[in-house]
Amino acid sequence: MDRMHDSLDSLWAEYRDACPDPEASAHFMPMLWQKIEARRLETTSVFRHMAQAWVMAALALTLIIAVLLPRLHREPVYSANTYVEVLDDAHSNDALDLLAAGEVE
Amino acid sequence: MLVDFGLIERARSGDDSAFSQVVQAYRKRILGTIARLIGRPEDVEDVGQEVFLRLYYSLEQLRTAEVFEPWLYRLTVNAAYDYLRRQRRRRESRMSDLSEQQVMMADAAEGGRQNEEDLRRSKVREKVQALLGKVSDEDRILLTLKEVEGLSLKELEKIYGVNENALKVRLFRARQRVLKAYDAEEK
Repeated sequence: MDRMHDSLDSLWAEYRDACPDPEASAHFMPMLWQKIEARRLETTSVFRHMAQAWVMAALALTLIIAVLLPRLHREPVYSANTYVEVLDDAHSNDALDLLAAGEVE
Repeated sequence: MLVDFGLIERARSGDDSAFSQVVQAYRKRILGTIARLIGRPEDVEDVGQEVFLRLYYSLEQLRTAEVFEPWLYRLTVNAAYDYLRRQRRRRESRMSDLSEQQVMMADAAEGGRQNEEDLRRSKVREKVQALLGKVSDEDRILLTLKEVEGLSLKELEKIYGVNENALKVRLFRARQRVLKAYDAEEK
């Protein structure tokens, strides 16, 4: 196993020699700046699209609210009667029901 | 450090000419590391540009200029890792289209054009690439940084952001796996 270790270690060293640091080509820097600029434009464009989408969504929401709100916002129904009168109106047939039950018995 | 902290600070604050100087100072070293990490000379510049592109857009997140080099290496490792992952996917689909004989013929034709020293180097590269191809991309990158690039444990700690013990365990396991692959190849 030690022999394998040594052999592998020397293979790493040989690999290091076989792959020296390459020189960058002449178009390395121009290409890099092109990519930086392209990314910048892409990011700006993404933000612009996002902003447009937000504006459209806000407009749509405003329209929906403008249409729906008057319908939802109805005046509450107030009664001029007292609580007892309202109860009486609501249960006006209860006495008849009781009478009917008495007749059966 | 290949540049002074002041230059990095200037690049960090948005000075493009300072950034260009930083790139020019580090590009050869970074391209060399990438070449050894990915093993495909034709794609080295592309990956190198990706590293510096990521550097440009992440430089403002750098806490201090002192941690610049580990930061740059981390970006290099990430870009190499992304490249290897893409290649693995692409190779899987491409190799299924080529017969083994076609691959061997292409290799032989390539070999015939090189002189003896180039051929020996090329064989070493192929041997190491074949060996590293048998382990995971994580093992491949870690071993290349340690064994080929000669980075110390302290430097690797900063790049990976893990403590020395965890790193030693990872390295030990990666070495065992590559040794096993090497042993199988030698037999």
